[in-house]
Amino acid sequence: MKNSFGKVLNRVIVWVFLLLTSFIVLYPLVYVVSAAFSPQQNISALNIVPFGDGFTMANFKQIFKNTDYPLWFMNTLIVATVTMVGTVFVCALSAYVFSRFKFTLKKPLMMTLLILQIFPSFVGMIAIYVILYRINGLDTLWGLILVYLAGNIPYNTWLVKSYLDTIPRSLDEAARIDGANHMQIFARIVLPLAKPIVTFLCITSFTAPWMDYIFPKMVLRSSKVQTVALGLYSFVTDKKNLFADFAAGALLISVPFIIFFVVTQKMLITSLGGAAVKE
Amino acid sequence: MKTTLNRDGSSKKKVLITSILFMGLSHIIYFKQYVKGLFYALIELLSLLSIPFLAGKIYGMITLGSPQPNIPIKLRNNSMFMLVDGILVLAVIALIIMCYVLSVRSALSEYKDYCITGDMKGNKEVMRSALGKAFPVFGLLPSVFLIVFFVVVPLVFSACVAFTNYSAPQHIPPNNTVDWVGLDNFVTMFGGEATWTSAFTRVAIWTLLWGFLATVTCYVGGLIMAVVLADSKIKIKPVFRSIFILPYAVPALLSMLVWKNLLNGSFGIVNRTLKDMRLITDSIPWLSDVWLCRVVCVLVNLWAGFSYFMLLIMGNMTAISPDIYEAARIDGANKFTMFRKITLPLVLFQTTPLIIMSFTHNINNFGAIYFLTGGLPKVADSTLTSAGGTDILVTWIYNLTVTLMKYNYASVLAVIIFIVMAPFAIISFRNTKSFKDGEL
Repeated sequence: MKNSFGKVLNRVIVWVFLLLTSFIVLYPLVYVVSAAFSPQQNISALNIVPFGDGFTMANFKQIFKNTDYPLWFMNTLIVATVTMVGTVFVCALSAYVFSRFKFTLKKPLMMTLLILQIFPSFVGMIAIYVILYRINGLDTLWGLILVYLAGNIPYNTWLVKSYLDTIPRSLDEAARIDGANHMQIFARIVLPLAKPIVTFLCITSFTAPWMDYIFPKMVLRSSKVQTVALGLYSFVTDKKNLFADFAAGALLISVPFIIFFVVTQKMLITSLGGAAVKE
Repeated sequence: MKTTLNRDGSSKKKVLITSILFMGLSHIIYFKQYVKGLFYALIELLSLLSIPFLAGKIYGMITLGSPQPNIPIKLRNNSMFMLVDGILVLAVIALIIMCYVLSVRSALSEYKDYCITGDMKGNKEVMRSALGKAFPVFGLLPSVFLIVFFVVVPLVFSACVAFTNYSAPQHIPPNNTVDWVGLDNFVTMFGGEATWTSAFTRVAIWTLLWGFLATVTCYVGGLIMAVVLADSKIKIKPVFRSIFILPYAVPALLSMLVWKNLLNGSFGIVNRTLKDMRLITDSIPWLSDVWLCRVVCVLVNLWAGFSYFMLLIMGNMTAISPDIYEAARIDGANKFTMFRKITLPLVLFQTTPLIIMSFTHNINNFGAIYFLTGGLPKVADSTLTSAGGTDILVTWIYNLTVTLMKYNYASVLAVIIFIVMAPFAIISFRNTKSFKDGEL
């Protein structure tokens, strides 16, 4: 009798805990959704009851018609896609070389990568600015892509290399006997086998540009090359508060992310767990 | 020219000297690998021809230009360009030296092959194996170039700026030049001027405290959620899990800006809700009281960061074999004991490297501070030093460069981050599999 009471109490506590945490997690997100559909632009006028102001699509029309939001979205999409493809190609190729070959200067190069990966890349932002200025890369998307790509290499090369080390070499040796060259082995055998880590790399390198602020702020000046992060930030500066526009824009960005993460959560759990073991 | 090498290994010195004398020379005269040899020779020739240019750039880096107040601004010496050019040139020289080492090593290995097999591979065979042997070089070429010019050079540059007086208002190129000042900036920061020293001490202590608290809270939060979710027999568990993933899925920039608006002291939703519920009468200064604001930073970061560790720990917990729990149950262990003696040690062991990485990430977590508080609230020295109450080192660096244009002090802070981070680099290095396997 006592035991079952304890079980019920335990269940109640777990339920209360989970519901309370869910409330806290959802709290700010509910207001983003309600503000996105609210006719009140400023947060000081926003009703404290979610969806208490009524329902309108005006904010979405507003950001598509009167701001460069679609353009920002396209710019960010381009930057994210190219960075992702470049990162996967460059990192996987160098990881393959580090994992499978013995060559002069291998040790010093790997050490350098390891030391470099701990620095936030914006520590050298003045120099990056001057270098981009020198090669006419300022205010262009490719300049920003180069910066991201270079910053991604040190850590991710190590990550992929550690993974490749666990794939048996006998497979590529078999292919070599069949007459495949290094590039073919890399593309046809190693890359497909490294799919889990490559997927992980794709996700991290694709999502990062959507959230980054410092480098776009430094590299991109004119309004036609802004990214979403810069644009949304400009909605809620100290000078003006267009919270509803901000919320509408933020919602449009977040929804694909949320769907993606919720759908792939099983894979994320194994990926993150796997990355930890392999480090 | 006839090959005049002995097969017994006694000509090693000769090969070494020839290859050092001129890059690729021994490939041409001894091994008849004309294409490879000429390629190396071309690199050497180009480097020799550009010596005056390279020397000029390095001289420019040493002097950083002289003031020329009488000529138009566009034509004046730009110290920063001179510094960047100098470092770029040093990087190019390092790459040339790398080529040199490669060529000498390659000549020696050719000679070793010759000693063993007794015949020259000649041109055709070399070309055939070139794709094979040179593959590491071509494979690494893109990463080496990108890293040298966009990671290494900028880092060296900012380390150099720490030893100059590059700062507003008097030393901003192109109007004025910049000079080397030795350790002056470090002296100012560490005791020379009371305002800067006290601001630095305050920010440094808060940065470490922040890094520690942010990591611990997120880890413990994630651990609790993972354990509760794994343990409970609730049918809608996937629903809760999906809800708890949301903070990880929403871009951090957005969630921080949302929290900033919700917590705003005068018009924020949180305060207005609390007032309407008659729980408070005066607004709570969430983001304008220094210590309350710091607590808010940690809590909001917990909101944004626990999902990552929850996912991570769930992944690790699925890897623990159920046999262990079964055995413990037979031995009469209760749930709490099983958690304390089995789950916790195993998970902690697996995730230690990631806890360390998360700590370094939080020390450098620009977004969590900048978008939530912007470094505010202001404290006594904020106007002069631009360091607010919640600023950590990286956001202070940002303020120093963007608002105050005190690049020299910003670089001093960057150097300090370097020194603080170095031990963590060593730790994570010792944790890598390659190190443990004795490969490095």
